Amino acid sequence: MDFTGSIDFKDLEAPLFIAWQINSECNLGCLHCCEEAGHSIPNEMNKKEIFSFLGQIVDLSIPYVALSGGEPMLHPHLFKICEFLRKHNTSLKVETNGEFIDESVAARIGRLKFRSVQISLDGATASTHEKLRLSGDWNKAVSACRFLIKAGVNTEIVFVPTKFNIHEIGQLIDLAYSLGVYGVYTGKTMRIGRAAQNWDILCPSEQEYEKFFATLNEKVAQYDGKMKVYYYPYDVVEELKYRIQYPSASLLVLPNGKVKLIGPLPFICGDLRKQSLSEIWENYKESWSNPKVIEFAQKVVSEPKLLAEANKWVELF
Amino acid sequence: MIFNEHVKIREEKFGAVVFETLKEKVFVTNETGKDVLNLLKEGKTAEEIINSLADLYAVKPEDVKEDISGFVGLLKEKGILVS
Repeated sequence: MDFTGSIDFKDLEAPLFIAWQINSECNLGCLHCCEEAGHSIPNEMNKKEIFSFLGQIVDLSIPYVALSGGEPMLHPHLFKICEFLRKHNTSLKVETNGEFIDESVAARIGRLKFRSVQISLDGATASTHEKLRLSGDWNKAVSACRFLIKAGVNTEIVFVPTKFNIHEIGQLIDLAYSLGVYGVYTGKTMRIGRAAQNWDILCPSEQEYEKFFATLNEKVAQYDGKMKVYYYPYDVVEELKYRIQYPSASLLVLPNGKVKLIGPLPFICGDLRKQSLSEIWENYKESWSNPKVIEFAQKVVSEPKLLAEANKWVELF
Repeated sequence: MIFNEHVKIREEKFGAVVFETLKEKVFVTNETGKDVLNLLKEGKTAEEIINSLADLYAVKPEDVKEDISGFVGLLKEKGILVS
């Protein structure tokens, strides 16, 4: 008797994951931001539109949602959104710079039992972190980790390597372990958004990456069974090559309700203000066979500079 | 048997999709796998699942016992069931 199966993403009746950038407002101006956040995307979804979307997430039994921004903690309805999703038992991750998480906020998050909170920590020291994260406060980010862990929240740290901070990865992982975080995640910097504009000053050399991955391998072994140390070894172009063949069952929702095919490509496959989530999911499936998408993705693979176009949206429907 | 708190199961036309959202691992079952998952959700024991499946597919319990035990073992191995 067989029990297991294998499927194509097109066989699914709904996405499995929603990455939702709920706002574009941010208190920082990170040099390596892949969203070009910090400025306001006009016409963000209002409360009524947000809750209509949330209702559809629940109706379609979408199991897992990640909220990011901008800085999601600045969104006026963040906790209402989180409470709604958790009430319906949706797995929830919030990706934040951590600067607005004090003891009471951490306790509130703890009560809601998020899957996790992911804090961006781009250095093992304040000076390195703050060199990249303009207006950022390393101490606040580290304190947020402490408060969250104390409140019983699965806390993850994400580190984006650049010329400024790549040398601190080993130290950062050790710090993460001493804090008691669930996991540290990293990978090559994505050449999109503001990172694409600052690429020449940010992008580490091949030698720096080589050393970086060697350190990561050591740390993976060192913390095996104690803390998750995960790195994605491919860059955004390699990821794209893979995704053209094997799209994931996920949607990327922008603050204004437009739905992107994937971060590094400019294509919009729907608009929550005009279509239902089910319709957008069907659009998404169809979009991956659209010659315009395939052609542009192939062009990006040979000319990675085109990744800078990722935030100049192209509507497919 | 208890499901991991981070596991979400969604029924689909082909069976079910099981998503362990903490490890971000997806596992797919066919219709028969979905039946077992539903029985597990109802809190049935291994023996009850074997008898239900045998009934449902009109076979002898001993003919499905090993397969079902193997599947339950796989669910444990993948962290979908915690006990």
